[in-house]
Amino acid sequence: MTRVEIRGLKKSFGAVEALRGVNLEVESGALVALLGPTGAGKTTLLKCIAGVEEPDAGDILFDGQSVLRTPAWRRDVAMFFQTYALYPHMSVYDNIAYPLRERKWSRQDIDRSVKAVAEKLRIAHLLDRKDPSTLSGGEMQRVALARTLVRNPKVFLLDEPISNLDAKLREEMRTEFKRLHRELKQTIIYATPDFLEAFAVAEKVAVIKDGVILQYDTPMNLLRRPKNRFVATFIGSPTINIMRGVIRRVAHGWEFSTTGLKIQLSNIGASSKLLDGSEVELAVRPQDIVLEASKNGNAFKAKILAAERLGYETIVTLSLGEVELKAVTKGMRSYKYGDEVTINIPGDRVILFDVSSGEAMY
Amino acid sequence: MANHRNNRRGRHKVVKTVLIYLFTIIAVIFFIFPIYWLVATSLKTRAQAFSTPPLFVWEPTFRNFIDIFLKRQTEIEAITGQELELATGAETFFYNSFVVTFSSIIIATVIGVFAAYSFSRYKPAGTNTLMFFILSTRMLPAIVVAIPIYFFYRSLGLYNTYIGLILLYTMFNLPFAVWMMKSFFDEVPRDIEQAALVDGSNPVKVFYKIALPQVLVGLGATIGFLIINVWNEFLFALLLTERATRTVPVMIAGTRGEVGINWGLIAAIETLYILPALVLIFVLQRFLLRGMTFGTVRGAK
Ligand SMILES: Nc1ncnc2c1ncn2[C@@H]1O[C@H](COP(=O)(O)OP(=O)(O)O)[C@@H](O)[C@H]1O
Ligand SMILES: [Mg+2]
Repeated sequence: MTRVEIRGLKKSFGAVEALRGVNLEVESGALVALLGPTGAGKTTLLKCIAGVEEPDAGDILFDGQSVLRTPAWRRDVAMFFQTYALYPHMSVYDNIAYPLRERKWSRQDIDRSVKAVAEKLRIAHLLDRKDPSTLSGGEMQRVALARTLVRNPKVFLLDEPISNLDAKLREEMRTEFKRLHRELKQTIIYATPDFLEAFAVAEKVAVIKDGVILQYDTPMNLLRRPKNRFVATFIGSPTINIMRGVIRRVAHGWEFSTTGLKIQLSNIGASSKLLDGSEVELAVRPQDIVLEASKNGNAFKAKILAAERLGYETIVTLSLGEVELKAVTKGMRSYKYGDEVTINIPGDRVILFDVSSGEAMY
Repeated sequence: MANHRNNRRGRHKVVKTVLIYLFTIIAVIFFIFPIYWLVATSLKTRAQAFSTPPLFVWEPTFRNFIDIFLKRQTEIEAITGQELELATGAETFFYNSFVVTFSSIIIATVIGVFAAYSFSRYKPAGTNTLMFFILSTRMLPAIVVAIPIYFFYRSLGLYNTYIGLILLYTMFNLPFAVWMMKSFFDEVPRDIEQAALVDGSNPVKVFYKIALPQVLVGLGATIGFLIINVWNEFLFALLLTERATRTVPVMIAGTRGEVGINWGLIAAIETLYILPALVLIFVLQRFLLRGMTFGTVRGAK
């Protein structure tokens, strides 16, 4: 088990700044997800940790010791490559055995480990296949994963390990990773562009964009207390509703108003540094909007624009005057275009963002 | 009605197939005929070779093939008392050609592969300039550099030596070797090599365990090209050799019979001379095709 620290890591490819000062601490034995859109710098960060890319500035420490001077082949990390990077001229067995052979394991130990990991990933029947390029995408992915998991390194780096699988297998693999982590008790850094996947496998998630970690937090905090507009919109499905308006101090706290709409904000403390009359963006999650008449505070009449029935829930698109909102409600509801409903926006579940900086204001 | 149309389409298809085959056969005959005529001439006596109209049916003779090896140049000179270029004792020239080709190909390939890998992977400062510079050495017409090299070789004592020819051909072939091999190494995904580094291989092992096996086809194509380059080279071999190191192309050009030109004899040498090239092309045809299209394949990406 190894504790990984990354300090002020920078890396450019020509004019492209892939990493612009990344700081991250991964506790020994923790599984941390690195969540960000494509081009955020996830792969670059993992490759720097693995030692196959050399950072321009900053430091990487394993258990407090800098590893920058340790070459990749002695750094003792295992990495799953997004592109699988299977050795095309080797059989499936030889691919998985490769890292063990390079470490001069005995033939019996290699054989035992390869078979065990193949069993675990359900690819034992593929071990004799000569040409890995003839495998299906899902099979290649599991072979690459087996090659990563076959040994016991200081750190596992997994770069989008299940993003090319079909939905069913993905779901299975998410649970599989949790189980693997419980069994291996190893430090794992897991990159993914899918927030559901990140939330499913990791206790802590680092949201990365444009080479900077925006927020490093628990899934619950990322959902409830995002640090800025990007984190709020990147996480959650359907995307969080955002309205632009003005906030004013009123008798019992604060009130947000936009054309034809006034929302009482009950989660803003009296001590808040908000400026009376300043322009803000208000965000509310579709899951927090209640499609029922309710007496407290912010009830509105809204018109149904569309409804997507997904089985256990229904996504409703609503119009409130000039504002368009999405809401999620339990069960299969049948709404028709133009139906009028009463909705409720809970004043304690909204998030305010500064219009110019996009930072959240609490 | 439908039947009629079907018939017409059927006939169309037959005509098309026949035309395709016809053109293919004509093209093949066009390219094969000179080789056929060469081999045929080598199997004719002098009189048969000169007969008009040309003979298409005759009793083949292997006399020419025996003559080029059996008659000793020195013996004939002893008899006639003058130095002659004779199509005899051909094994020396074939031996020279083999030695020169084989050695220079090995050196050029080894150096070329390492240089190409460095350029492709480590991209030293000025890679593009250097790569252009390497290629530019092949842009001058050979005849322009021939005279300086001749004097240069004379003064260095490289004239009429194996080493001289081998060095020259190595230098000739290096640009091809570097450019071709670099383009093949460029196609090997970086991630595969990085995976091997993470899996515990140092860069030397990554090179021969991971990168090299990926480019074997390209290596085959490259070696094929280099061999043909050297095997066919005439100008420099003519300028820089005398009898001791003379290669086959020069020998063919200078061949005289005892009385006039003996075409049967020359054809026999040429037949033997193109044989290794034909075998090579046949064995390596898959690689050579890839090698020839490497530019377009990469361009399409
Ligand atoms: N080898 C490279 N050469 C040039 N640019 C690169 C290279 N690798 C990554 N980049 C750039 O760096 C940025 C981050 O890429 P990457 O780390 O692959 O992001 P992610 O894995 O999050 O999708 C992107 O803009 C990408 O184009
Ligand atoms: Mg990536």
